[in-house]
Amino acid sequence: MRDLKHLIYFEDLLQEANNELVKQAKAEGKYALGYTCYFMPEVLLDLPGCFSVRLRAPRCTSPDIATYYMSARVCHYGRSLFERALEGGFNFLDAQMATETCTVTCRFQEHIKPKHLDSVKDMDVIQNDKFFCEFTDVPFKNTEADYEYYHDQLKAHVLTPLHENLGIDVSDKALKEAIKQHNEVCKLINEIGDYRKLENPTITGYEFHVIQLVSLVCPKYLILPYLRETAKEMKTRKPDEKWPFRCKVVLAGSENDDPDFTKLIESCGAEVVCDRYCYGAVETRKPITIEKGETPLQAIARHYLSTSNCPRFMPQDEMRARKQRLADLVKEYNADGIIVVSNKFCEYWSYERVIDTIVMKRDFGIPVCSIEKEYINTASGQLRTRFQAFVESVEIKKIQEGK
Amino acid sequence: MDFKKAVKDFWYGKPHTAEDGGRRLGENYLPKTGLYKHREWRGVKDTFYYFHNIWMYNYLHMVMDVMKYGGLVNFAKGVWRYRWVGQTYLPVLHWFDRGLEGMRGEALRGSAWHYRAMVNATIYQFMAMFNADTRLHGGKKNDAWYHTMSMKETVWGGMFYGWRDKFKAVALEMIPYFVTCHVNSHTVHNYIDAVQSIGLPGDPCPMCQAEAGLFVLDDVPDYSPFMITCNEACDGSVGTAILQDWFNDKPLYALQMPMIFDDPLANKFVQKDIEKCWKFIEDQTGVPMNFDLMCEYIERQNELQKFEWEKWEVAAKTNSYPINGVAQALYRIYQSQFGDLPIWHEVDGHVRKIMERAVRNKTNTFPNTRHRVIAWSCAPLYYSNWCTWAYNTWGLNVVINMDSLMFDMTIRTDSYENMLEDVAQYHMWAPMRRMAVGGIHHIFELWDYMERFDCDMVAMYDQLQCKGMQGVHGLFEDEFRDRNIPAFWIPHALPDSRTVSRAEIRRLINDYMTTVMHEEPLDPSLLELDDDFTW
Repeated sequence: MRDLKHLIYFEDLLQEANNELVKQAKAEGKYALGYTCYFMPEVLLDLPGCFSVRLRAPRCTSPDIATYYMSARVCHYGRSLFERALEGGFNFLDAQMATETCTVTCRFQEHIKPKHLDSVKDMDVIQNDKFFCEFTDVPFKNTEADYEYYHDQLKAHVLTPLHENLGIDVSDKALKEAIKQHNEVCKLINEIGDYRKLENPTITGYEFHVIQLVSLVCPKYLILPYLRETAKEMKTRKPDEKWPFRCKVVLAGSENDDPDFTKLIESCGAEVVCDRYCYGAVETRKPITIEKGETPLQAIARHYLSTSNCPRFMPQDEMRARKQRLADLVKEYNADGIIVVSNKFCEYWSYERVIDTIVMKRDFGIPVCSIEKEYINTASGQLRTRFQAFVESVEIKKIQEGK
Repeated sequence: MDFKKAVKDFWYGKPHTAEDGGRRLGENYLPKTGLYKHREWRGVKDTFYYFHNIWMYNYLHMVMDVMKYGGLVNFAKGVWRYRWVGQTYLPVLHWFDRGLEGMRGEALRGSAWHYRAMVNATIYQFMAMFNADTRLHGGKKNDAWYHTMSMKETVWGGMFYGWRDKFKAVALEMIPYFVTCHVNSHTVHNYIDAVQSIGLPGDPCPMCQAEAGLFVLDDVPDYSPFMITCNEACDGSVGTAILQDWFNDKPLYALQMPMIFDDPLANKFVQKDIEKCWKFIEDQTGVPMNFDLMCEYIERQNELQKFEWEKWEVAAKTNSYPINGVAQALYRIYQSQFGDLPIWHEVDGHVRKIMERAVRNKTNTFPNTRHRVIAWSCAPLYYSNWCTWAYNTWGLNVVINMDSLMFDMTIRTDSYENMLEDVAQYHMWAPMRRMAVGGIHHIFELWDYMERFDCDMVAMYDQLQCKGMQGVHGLFEDEFRDRNIPAFWIPHALPDSRTVSRAEIRRLINDYMTTVMHEEPLDPSLLELDDDFTW
């Protein structure tokens, strides 16, 4: 296929958190707000006057100082973020909007938070006088009571501090404006992503991963023109004459902001047609709708709890329903199997991966490849062998089924 | 031969001293077994006390408790069916021996009563399970099955006080895994291996792994129509709860515990969730929650808490506290997590007498104390008695520990609203949540407690697979250094004795005491022991 016009530019934007567009927005007087988790609604951080940056630590392979503080036995992602923060890589942040939705990212955020306690020193990590860090508590269920609690949490721990510390307009009008912008990003990303549903997709999983990531880490208003142009370009993009892959897979699992991992899978013959993982588009790019009688904030609270497939949700019906939703994605994207990935030391996904591996095969008949990986992937040889074997097994299954 | 000394040693036991003629407890062991060649001679009075009032008394009561709570037939069926009870019932008195080794006088008596209470509470629970277990009764759901509630072990037992007159509430994993691995450190390995055999990596919290492994091996009694689970205390607990549910497949209520529990919004939210949980139980049982009954049991539990505070006062301000580190830690967490039981009151009555006598007589209960130690974070379950060894070997007296301090409150019963608010708070201060994986400011309450309990040294547990505590490891290092506080780390993997052996833990403490503190052991025979193969 012909190269996408902006792909190299997008790849460049992913080389560091404080990228060209972030710098531009800061120069224009906008506040940069960091976050790590889906449960911190990015739309609230994209209110007029500020912009969201979902934190990454690209190319961080040796988080030495962070390992001293957090030990080598916790998730590499959390450690890498902390290392990058210690290196000064997040000094552009004006605030970190934190959640304790997984232990290690919580610890990372606690480390960078100015604590003002006598019992433990402040590490003074983020060299920005304005910087503050505020935690929001996120429920483990998605009932009406949880929506209400989450709504109150977002009001108390996101909107209020943004208004009080940075003077951000948090009125309903401003929220609606942010939702409108958010929905346009969603529409464009989904439009681009839907080409993965074609029999011979006109976009690869890697390309889509890059595009999705830039939409998370760049100011929306600055990345939108590029997304619009890419969506337009996609309309006329021709596929290769012969489909270059051997099967299609849904990639599910934990935090993944490494497009090279998707590239590795695709180099083994499995096209990644759907990205159901933290930082993926399945949930993050669902448009937000304001139901009748709802305030914008209520709609946002409901949206983020009701769309999440996070394994921290504990109600019995929900833990079963998310298996069905995963199976539905396989069908929707015409995939042949699922690759379930957990980052090493990620406890939520270690368990969920085990359950997916058993249940998706047993109850839905879907082939599953179960992988544990590091945040920055260095074991490419071993993983390549696993993926190649999986692709072969899927091919054999297809042959046996006469497809 | 010094005849006078021999008589004195016979009558009082050999002195606890490094000098020649001092007791050498390590010589009591058969090499490389951790088993005794012969029992410890503690002097006439204490040896006979141990034999009659601890050893015989407890063996006898272990039989009597079984009879009282369901009978020998159900017990025998349980022993045959479940490896965790079969492997741990007989070594119970060895568990006493390990925890009470070297203890004398009031410390021996007070600590032993705590052990007695834990044994009774354990038998009460597993017999409740066996009485109702369909697997032991030909698949039949008997009346007991319909009148027993099951919950995850991290759900506080008091949550079910409102049904106490008609229902028993027994935690699913408390006995099969948590208690038993204190008694027999090998029992739990099997469950950890089982869950890893279906693909779970080795790094999640081994406690959670063991809890999940019980279900993988189908080694959990089926004794209740429904289940209350909880996200407490960490990500691994959530994963375990979910995995368990896939195996358990019964009506489930997931009780939430907010992660940011200091937030005023959180308490109100939890109150609502607890009420919904009670509603779920009412729907499942057809029996409404009895508020008066709830208050009655809360008041009884409050009595336990008030006595605990008295104990802390004595521990903090005198040298007459008659409870050793392991008895204090295990009894307290067991009692505060399980909730009210008659045995706690009975034992507290005995301990009160012993403690008051010790205070009145100004008895120095741990006379060879060189350092008053606070133990922080989560302890190794397979070596909870390390502090007994540390006192005997180095004079390290573990006065208090983090687990004891977590449920530091009474619950109001003057109105439904106040009761609910306090129950929510108690629930959120659950084991491990408040100080181990709670907010960073709670973890560093250590300094306040050090001062309160007049401690000069920290035993810092280093649970290698606890992501929450590992995530602040370096900050502790920095703070210890900046505050010039002597602290040694005890690496471990909660129940899994294969990761860091007991011998390795001892070696690390020995190294610290010799190379950093430049001290000589009180009992050199205990420095090196090979007890990997023992219970």
